[in-house]
Amino acid sequence: MNTTEIAVIGAGPAGIAAAVTAANAGARVLLLDENPRPGGQYYKQPPSSFHANDVASSLSENIQHGRELIAGLNNPKITVCANTLVWNITADGILDLYAPEGATRVQAKRIILASGAYERVVPFAGWTLPGVMTVGAAQLMLKGQGLLVGQKILLCGTGPLLQLAAVQLLDAGADIAALVELHSRTEFFGGGLKLFGQWGKIGQGMAQQKKLLDAGVPMKYGCVVTRAVGETETRGAVIVKVDGNGRPIAGSEETIAADTICMNYGFVPATELARLAGCEQFFDTHFDAFATKTNDDLETTARGIFAAGEVRGIGGVEVALLEGKIAGAAAARQLGYAAQSNGHDVLKEWQKARAAFDSLSSMFAVKRGVYESIADDVLVCRCEEIRAGEIRDAARAGAQNLNALKAWNRCGMGRCQGRICGPIAAQLIASETGTSVESVGAFTARIPVKPVPLGVVGASAEPHATGTAMEDHVGYGAARVK
Amino acid sequence: MTIQVQRISQIERGQAFSITVNGQPIEAYPGESIATVLAAAGYRAFRATDASASPRGIFCGMGICFDCLVTVDGLPNQRACMTEARAGCEVRVRDV
Repeated sequence: MNTTEIAVIGAGPAGIAAAVTAANAGARVLLLDENPRPGGQYYKQPPSSFHANDVASSLSENIQHGRELIAGLNNPKITVCANTLVWNITADGILDLYAPEGATRVQAKRIILASGAYERVVPFAGWTLPGVMTVGAAQLMLKGQGLLVGQKILLCGTGPLLQLAAVQLLDAGADIAALVELHSRTEFFGGGLKLFGQWGKIGQGMAQQKKLLDAGVPMKYGCVVTRAVGETETRGAVIVKVDGNGRPIAGSEETIAADTICMNYGFVPATELARLAGCEQFFDTHFDAFATKTNDDLETTARGIFAAGEVRGIGGVEVALLEGKIAGAAAARQLGYAAQSNGHDVLKEWQKARAAFDSLSSMFAVKRGVYESIADDVLVCRCEEIRAGEIRDAARAGAQNLNALKAWNRCGMGRCQGRICGPIAAQLIASETGTSVESVGAFTARIPVKPVPLGVVGASAEPHATGTAMEDHVGYGAARVK
Repeated sequence: MTIQVQRISQIERGQAFSITVNGQPIEAYPGESIATVLAAAGYRAFRATDASASPRGIFCGMGICFDCLVTVDGLPNQRACMTEARAGCEVRVRDV
């Protein structure tokens, strides 16, 4: 078995900062990430064979910042394992890895979880049509692959990310069909006031607004998408005005032509590895999701396992970078390296950055009425194709938490393992049963945290055989039951 | 209406090579994911679902939703967004 002093899971801003800090203190670090290049989603890097500096200034600046951060990984103490999925973690520091070359097991003295976040989505009729995707997907294709996902793009959801993404897509040559923001104009700009004192961010936001208005982008505040139009791919969206609780106002529907719909309603911490390792979670009301509990050194309740960045609460890139440094230094100190201790000033800066993001997240929370207005025939679980009405029926009949729901009707049992549908189903159950989203809980994390070939689980030290379980069973004559 | 999903023209991409998609040769560039190559060639649906045969394509773009699954060199259920296109690789998308 391979060993390392510190294993860092996730090579985004938090993971890179943690790896660099720990290595500079003298620790041997293994940095693991499923993607082909470090950077995470925020600092997604194009392949080294791509050459461009004039695509969109808003993008090349982001890519350049990421490049500078990533350069810190060029350190003999750091081994970067790209294309490597961590599919199992134990409280005593064992990690099971899966890469195209095969499966391996690593024993780490300390582990830093920097697994990031997923996008929060709210289903509408037709949201499984090709051409409907997350805002992040469109950004990643643009930043990481130089690909414009559509010609006429509608963005919907809530929060400042929508207008940033709209500007990036516009700069790259797309026509923006509309920006559809859940919150009213008053609520949206009121949210901006929460940034009081952060003049740089306010300036950026205002410049984005101006650019979109100058380009004639229809800004639809206080609206949501209720339906993607199209049979086999997206042709447009039906939007509707909503009241202060997020409920549709009858008769206010409008159809907008678009070939692509991009959605983002905020973010949800990616906590499955933390939960699998037994790290205690807490429910953060600022962004309506579970996150990983830590002390001020960012050590979780599982001794020797640390958490940094979005996994311990949605906080954005500045928080992630600070937390990476704090966790990297703390983990190195535990191994006897003379890493700088986190002084009062670092803690203060960190807490201030967290507090600023928390209040912003609260301003752009998804209103309950939005979930309650999802029609019964709308798919919620994309993998198993379970509809909102089936989830509500199950909740009324006694499925009061996510695990019970999964046993009831397979919601969350598919390949995404509830990453997409879990936060939505939790809202539906809470509304239907009059309980809190917190009490509905999360799906139990299971190995493998993402699908791997069966042979990898059976003999993790051996090269895997080709084929997945399901396809093999079908090959042996089994019939699909659904 | 056919959607033109486009490679940004200002980017130089190195030497083009070929992969096959359902037996047809398609142009790809080093470092591109199979999702990018398919999208740039006009594919929006990459597969049909087991339960209802409904079309699916790119959704999360970061390897968590498992909607963009394709078969690559005989290995089924590979995420197109997370799998790099290699010269000569054979991709199968399921009829939708």
